[in-house]
Amino acid sequence: MLEFFRSPAVRVAIAFVVATTVATTGIFGMVYLQIKAADQRSNRLILEDEATKSVNHSVDELKYAFEVRLTHGLRRLDYAALFSADRKVMFGNIDELPRIPVDGKSHFVAASPVPGGDNRMEPAIFVARTRPDGTVLLLGRSLLETLAFRRIVLGALATGLAPMLLLALAIGAFFARRASRRLTTIHDTIASIMKGDMHLRLPVRSQHDAIDKISRDVNLMLDEIMRLLVQIKGVSDNIAHDLRSPLAVVHAQLERGLENSDNEELRAVARQALAHIDKAMLTVAALLRLADVEYGPKSSKFQTIDLSAICADLFEFFEPLATSKSINMALEIQSPVQILGDGDLMREAVSNLIGNAIKFTPEGGSVRVSVAQEDGNPLVRVRDNGIGVEPAERDKIFQRFYRTASGHRVPGSGLGLSIAAAIANLHDFDLRFDDNHPGAVFEMAGRRK
Amino acid sequence: MTTSIPLQTILLVEDEKELANEIKIEIERLGYLVRMASIAEAADAARVGDVALLIMDRLVFGEDSLETMEVLRKEGVKVPVLMISALSSVDERIRGLKAGGDDYLSKPFAMAELAARVEALIRRLDDVRTTKLHVGDLEMDLIEQTVHRGSTRIDLLPREFKLLEYFLRHPGQVITRAMLLQDVWHYHFSLETNVVDVHISNLRKKIDIRGGASLIVNIRGAGFMLNDNA
Repeated sequence: MLEFFRSPAVRVAIAFVVATTVATTGIFGMVYLQIKAADQRSNRLILEDEATKSVNHSVDELKYAFEVRLTHGLRRLDYAALFSADRKVMFGNIDELPRIPVDGKSHFVAASPVPGGDNRMEPAIFVARTRPDGTVLLLGRSLLETLAFRRIVLGALATGLAPMLLLALAIGAFFARRASRRLTTIHDTIASIMKGDMHLRLPVRSQHDAIDKISRDVNLMLDEIMRLLVQIKGVSDNIAHDLRSPLAVVHAQLERGLENSDNEELRAVARQALAHIDKAMLTVAALLRLADVEYGPKSSKFQTIDLSAICADLFEFFEPLATSKSINMALEIQSPVQILGDGDLMREAVSNLIGNAIKFTPEGGSVRVSVAQEDGNPLVRVRDNGIGVEPAERDKIFQRFYRTASGHRVPGSGLGLSIAAAIANLHDFDLRFDDNHPGAVFEMAGRRK
Repeated sequence: MTTSIPLQTILLVEDEKELANEIKIEIERLGYLVRMASIAEAADAARVGDVALLIMDRLVFGEDSLETMEVLRKEGVKVPVLMISALSSVDERIRGLKAGGDDYLSKPFAMAELAARVEALIRRLDDVRTTKLHVGDLEMDLIEQTVHRGSTRIDLLPREFKLLEYFLRHPGQVITRAMLLQDVWHYHFSLETNVVDVHISNLRKKIDIRGGASLIVNIRGAGFMLNDNA
């Protein structure tokens, strides 16, 4: 989850949501404040205008006008009263002059007793103005209605804001997800490429954004690396190719020399040399074999083969070797597990795995070979409880010529697993390593279609 | 070999001089006469029929000898052919055998391997109707699928039976591990383990008489041999 928030795309999305929220709230706030101000201004002006007009009326006229106004609510006057010069109420619906300056301007009174007097209070605005005869005219208006109106406006704005924010959130989340999914895809692809699947390329869409541009550049770079790799491989294959005849010739000449010479010193040297040439021939043969598997067979020539039968056959072949090392060997196969493939090559791949397992398992250990359909995918598993592979070496065991530190004492070309992996790949299988605590598990599993 | 019997001739089609020379030396040691030949010369000699074996490189001076061999086989020429090739893939081996090759050896190979295969091809028993195979007092009945040593019956696993049968069909010949893998197990790849030796030693335990000489002996640097003088 933390990882999710650390992604730049998610951060951009969050910033987008925050910005949208602030902007929307700001606009709605402005609208509200404008409405509020306009309402307040009109209220004040009406009151002040009324007060000004009323100044020159006689007391009787005022009294009559008040009664009419208050009972009919014309221009929404809620409070009207006339006070004598000594601030005693003469008539009107309010008994006491509120504590406001008598200046003909409207003033806000937070709590004023409601006329009709059941001790309720309400906010109101009042205008007090001195008349020429020294009496004081008081006009007032309740703000209850106005406040209610403002509340409605505020409520309406708030209800509008919520979907806005949700929309912003949804859009932000959508883009963040999309961007982070793209990045995840790119990351996964790079991881696969680093694991050796050099044919993969980063996804490039039709859009021409920054990620696409970088992806394209990376792909071009990969193409170039591939080209160089193929070139290097070609060179090494050619070297192996050209070494074959000289190796065979040297081998033959040394053997001949060995047979025709009585010089024991020379014979000992020749024997050592022969052993080394044997090793070189083994490596060259394995290297060419690898090249053959990588470039040779076409899957169009594949036939239906049964992995169970192949493993049962190899089991029978290898079991005497295991027994001679006091290794307990077991076979677990189900009914036929059929795939399209090359039987010879599959046998070779599995024989590499079983041979390795026996090679790297000490006396008294066990090697189990199993064939199954797991989740509908064919799977060959070779499990041993031998020396296993050091964690630091696990990525490297499929590389050409890689011999583990412990494996160096055991003879071999160092290409067996590379060949097995190449054969697996040819069949759309993956060859994987896992820890058996202790020992190794090699799994050759059909790729999900 | 007595001098009254003319040496059998083996034709060698190989354009790499040094390798050809080594092959010639090795095979002449086996008691054959080796003649270097071009593809065309080899084909003509094979048609005449005074050749015991053809050893042909697949690619000679850029020419694929496979086509010539196919032509020879179509004409009914039955001379055994050992193909040696730089092309080691499964496909190429199968193509070589389908075209009429009797055996297929990928470079690089040890001369001992080549020698063993040459012997196996020349001394091949064409009579597949044989029902009983013998060596010394060991008898294999191919119909009953039984093995007796003297009057004692020896129980063998199916694969051990096949292994022993292969030796009985090639008595006194050097048999390499690769030949056993290829002909007994039908595995067409090299192994970095000594599984074959373990199988042989298991077979020996069953067929040999305690304290007696082993019927199957190790040939240093080459493989095994069934001792047909036992």
